[in-house]
Amino acid sequence: MSGSKPDILWSPHHPDRYVICDSELGLYRIGPIGSAEAKPGSLPLSEETAATLLAINSDTPYMKCVAWYPKQEPECLLAVGQANGRVVLTSLGQSHTSTCKELVGKEFVPKHARQCNTLAWNPVDSNLLAAGLDKHRADFSVLIWDISSKLAAESSAAAEKIRLPPTDVDSGSTVTKPLYEIGQNDACLSLCWLLRDPKLLLAGMHRNLAIFDLRNTSQKTFVNTKAIQGVTVDPHFHDRVASFFEGQVAIWDLRKFEKPVLTLTEQPKPLTKVAWCPTRTGLLATLTRDSNIIRLYDMQHTPTPIGDETEPTIIERSVKPCESQIGSFAWHPSSQNRMVVVSAANRVMTDFTVFERISLAWSSTTSLMWACGRHLYDCVEEAVEGAVEKDIATKMRERAQSRYGHDTLQVWRNHLLAGGSDPQLKSLCAEDLELKLPGNKQSLVYSGIKNIVKSSSGTTESRRCWIGSDRQTDVPRYHSEERSLALRLCGWVSRGSDIDVETFLRSLEQEQEWERAAAIALFNLDIRRAIQILNKGAMTDRGDLNLNVVAMALSGYTDEKSSLWREMCSSLRLQLKNPYLCIMFAFLTSEPGAYDGVLYESSVAVRDRVAFACMFLSDAQLPRYIEKLTGEMKDAGNLEGILLTGLTKDGVDLMESYVDITGDVQTASFCMLKGSPGEVLKDPRVQCWIENYRNLLDAWRFWHKRAEFDILRGKLDPSSKPLAQVFVSCNFCGKSISYSGSALPHQGRGFSQYGVSGSPTKSKVTSCPGCRKPLPRCALCLMNMGTPVSNCPGTGKSEEKADLTRENKLAKFNNWFTWCHNCRHGGHAGHMLSWFRDHTECPVSACTCKCMQLDTTGNLVPSDSS
Amino acid sequence: MDLHILDHRLRVTSISKSGLERFTHPLIKLIFLRNRTRCKFFSLTETPENFTLVLDEEGFKELQPSEHLQVESSTWLPLNVVSNGNVSSSSQAVGVTKIAKSVIAPLAQQHVSVFMLSTYQTDFILVREKDLSVVVSTLKEEFSIYQEVKGESVPVRCQDVTNGLQKNGKEAIQPTVHPVLIPQNQFCVMSLDPDTLPSIATTLIDVLFYSSSPKEESPEQELDCIKFFSFSLIDGYISLVMDSEAQRQFPSDLLFTSSSGELWRMVRIGGQPLGFDECGIVAQISQPLADSDISAYYISTFSFDHALVPEEDIVSVTGMLQHHRKEPAAS
Repeated sequence: MSGSKPDILWSPHHPDRYVICDSELGLYRIGPIGSAEAKPGSLPLSEETAATLLAINSDTPYMKCVAWYPKQEPECLLAVGQANGRVVLTSLGQSHTSTCKELVGKEFVPKHARQCNTLAWNPVDSNLLAAGLDKHRADFSVLIWDISSKLAAESSAAAEKIRLPPTDVDSGSTVTKPLYEIGQNDACLSLCWLLRDPKLLLAGMHRNLAIFDLRNTSQKTFVNTKAIQGVTVDPHFHDRVASFFEGQVAIWDLRKFEKPVLTLTEQPKPLTKVAWCPTRTGLLATLTRDSNIIRLYDMQHTPTPIGDETEPTIIERSVKPCESQIGSFAWHPSSQNRMVVVSAANRVMTDFTVFERISLAWSSTTSLMWACGRHLYDCVEEAVEGAVEKDIATKMRERAQSRYGHDTLQVWRNHLLAGGSDPQLKSLCAEDLELKLPGNKQSLVYSGIKNIVKSSSGTTESRRCWIGSDRQTDVPRYHSEERSLALRLCGWVSRGSDIDVETFLRSLEQEQEWERAAAIALFNLDIRRAIQILNKGAMTDRGDLNLNVVAMALSGYTDEKSSLWREMCSSLRLQLKNPYLCIMFAFLTSEPGAYDGVLYESSVAVRDRVAFACMFLSDAQLPRYIEKLTGEMKDAGNLEGILLTGLTKDGVDLMESYVDITGDVQTASFCMLKGSPGEVLKDPRVQCWIENYRNLLDAWRFWHKRAEFDILRGKLDPSSKPLAQVFVSCNFCGKSISYSGSALPHQGRGFSQYGVSGSPTKSKVTSCPGCRKPLPRCALCLMNMGTPVSNCPGTGKSEEKADLTRENKLAKFNNWFTWCHNCRHGGHAGHMLSWFRDHTECPVSACTCKCMQLDTTGNLVPSDSS
Repeated sequence: MDLHILDHRLRVTSISKSGLERFTHPLIKLIFLRNRTRCKFFSLTETPENFTLVLDEEGFKELQPSEHLQVESSTWLPLNVVSNGNVSSSSQAVGVTKIAKSVIAPLAQQHVSVFMLSTYQTDFILVREKDLSVVVSTLKEEFSIYQEVKGESVPVRCQDVTNGLQKNGKEAIQPTVHPVLIPQNQFCVMSLDPDTLPSIATTLIDVLFYSSSPKEESPEQELDCIKFFSFSLIDGYISLVMDSEAQRQFPSDLLFTSSSGELWRMVRIGGQPLGFDECGIVAQISQPLADSDISAYYISTFSFDHALVPEEDIVSVTGMLQHHRKEPAAS
């Protein structure tokens, strides 16, 4: 202290009182700002709290260190260590009980005067006060005083020799005989009593840390180190001690006292205080000179018995409680992570709570959890209808549960499996309608309209009349084989070579997509059909009567360039809400070959725009338009664009931006699996999606779904099938007991020829196909094992497989070989499962292997059915 | 017991009385401005003859060469005995007495010249750097020897112990018996909190630099009392040795001393300046003191050696020394 460096101490028992000591002692009470505001002398410490000065004590000059009596009574007793080595008991506040009166003013004087560096009360035997002093040639540096000792005759005997300090020799209150003297010819810079045994005292001596045992003071355990200042025991781990030297903090484990278990990163400035947080485990606060930040080291994640090899992880951060330079700080004894900070100058105080770091964890099922201090928060997605769009993970999970993506025969149904609410998915699923095409064209289907159109040749141009009218249109229409293929892909034209949209129109009418149907009829130059569709639409139950109005407007169509109709339609069409109605008029009012109003109307389905383009754009315009649209789709990650790109590299690019936006690896995986061209599947991005989707299914414990997915994947992408990795080999001949592969012995083929029902085959299942010796017995039923399923290694009996019932499959699984990798005992899977339902140990007598506990996933239950 | 060879390389110098003012600036800097210099070992002792200055190489750089500055040519290393707290000695005596038998006598036998510097905190035994191997081989039986290197204590292995005993190559000669002088002043050995050093700065400057001028009062006092004042600042610890006359000038509450407040009498050894090569001088004083278990401080200076013994023991010490004087004469 000596006037410059203040220190701060919390009362050990009053959570609202603390003492600041610089040149004098000041007792403060902290309280909420509201109640304290009334009083004049209150000092605001934070937005909520203020402090009131209760008492000042300036009786003790040359203070070097202060320690607060740890017991409840007398409550405000302080020991002050002075520059000349004397320790004085003093008090603050008025509540003087008799014991307190007796103690206050007592002085403890060392034989040779020198600075008192540190004081420590014994936490259990509170009569003991240890004082650490500077070095003297012949004297001890650690003196343990008994504050209750009677001021016996020896003090007066000593007093007669006192000649030099002529000051206070007021006989009665001076004690010169310490209870224990330790550390001769040494200096003591810091002290603390060990919490694990109140007879042990840890002292930072000159160049070593020493543990003294009061039961045998001539013995000490010590370790040579420079880090001897500010020794302090972690209140939560009694074997963990921190000490420092200049800018470096060393953490010690008293059980392994030879060297520090770790040293914290060195600070450029010397440290002044190091303190463990009393309310939170493993949090150490440090302060350096001339600094306005407090550095915190979180050793929370350090394994409790600090391992010797593993370097423990420490999270370091710093807090800035106030703007000015910090003189000292003190943790609040009970309030979580709270401290009071006093500035280096002017005694400005700040009440400060260290905000706890927040750790956060996602579960695989969209719930979110975070921890802050001693609180744990769980955040689950609420199933509010339509309020917020569900998280993609929830959606994927639901879709996986409804077997989304697995309907390979009727691809369009997957849209329904996915919940039927996403237009992009709908168009994606619809696109892959099975097209029966001559062989050489088959490959084109998946390569996308972009590539189909590129290869276009032999386009013919025709001008046709409006159907049902004899007026000649000046609208040129283009035909080619590729264009009609594209139209088919867009769904406008069904199979067959003739261009007839009527079937498509009917299906649209059925789905009550009146506007779309009308627009498509119009684009096929059938204005009458369009009007008819609109009428029909207006007449249905929930039909929009406005459709009649539109029909009326449509019927007034004239191709005269300067008519009022044209003028009005081209301006008013923009006010139509329905995009299809809008493009109808755009089509009618635009110049031939300039259909931007139609082509760039983004709310119209891509397939319709593309189909339109295929009909009305010239060979020069069409590829340019398609190219541009593809680019847009790719950038937007719009799945409708798959129609254009197909399942090509472009498609992967598009899917990539789709996944980037939505995170929907599920759709991406299924979609790309369809894209059979090998190079697409080999794309690392595609493999990444697939692997991630599999991991996701595993994380959800959808193991059956994952198995189904793997089967599907194996069908579509044979290269992904993993090779067999585990073989069960016969104990006698050492050959694999499975019937598969080229290792199939001659006899084995013979069995399958005889069929599976015959009893001789059945019995052979339990013997090695190589040497005919019996296979091991099940530990429970003592029957020889063997799985008949290995009899038919996938010889194309697909229909038989398809209608295997669940019980059937399970029955087979029950016969599977299972064994513990540890004790190598095992048996039929079903028997083992039922055994371990009630037991933890291996069923083989005299084997104490806890097989099931070794299997970390064995106790998890799949969360999907089937 | 441990013997530490401290990490200081020291020079022993002296400044003549008349040349003091030339060195005012470096001395003020070394004493009061600790943060401005990297000097870690500084000791200034005023004797009637001159000022003895012992300081490390960082401090030595501050001194300008001058005809008033005498420098002993060799580099000295301070040794320090650490009792480790394990040995609870039966002896109550402090100071050189404790190490007389274990360190000083063996070194004297090996003809190692020592320069003693006692302070409030401890005793430093300065030996020449070139004698270190002899010192190590001589004391390795008794002590665990550590060399301090950059703050870490490194155990010293006995390196070239071959012929360690003959290193000095001198035969045992009968030590010269030097005359002693016992002035009348009482001395006290004290310390000070370095933080309060500024508050006694003026007094200290007064005592150090301006003491000689008015102190020419009575010639008969000159005979009985000698001027002796020592200030040392070593590793952040301050030690002061002064007579009770000078002590009265300082504020009483700032200086630390033992609670018993002992006073000490001085025994000055040597009629002629002793030089640095003679060995056994400390031993011939400390040996008899140790035999009768009397505490003593011992401060060597450029010209003479000074032992401080407790006031109450001065009579017996005087008797003992006189007896000692006669004995060699008799033999």
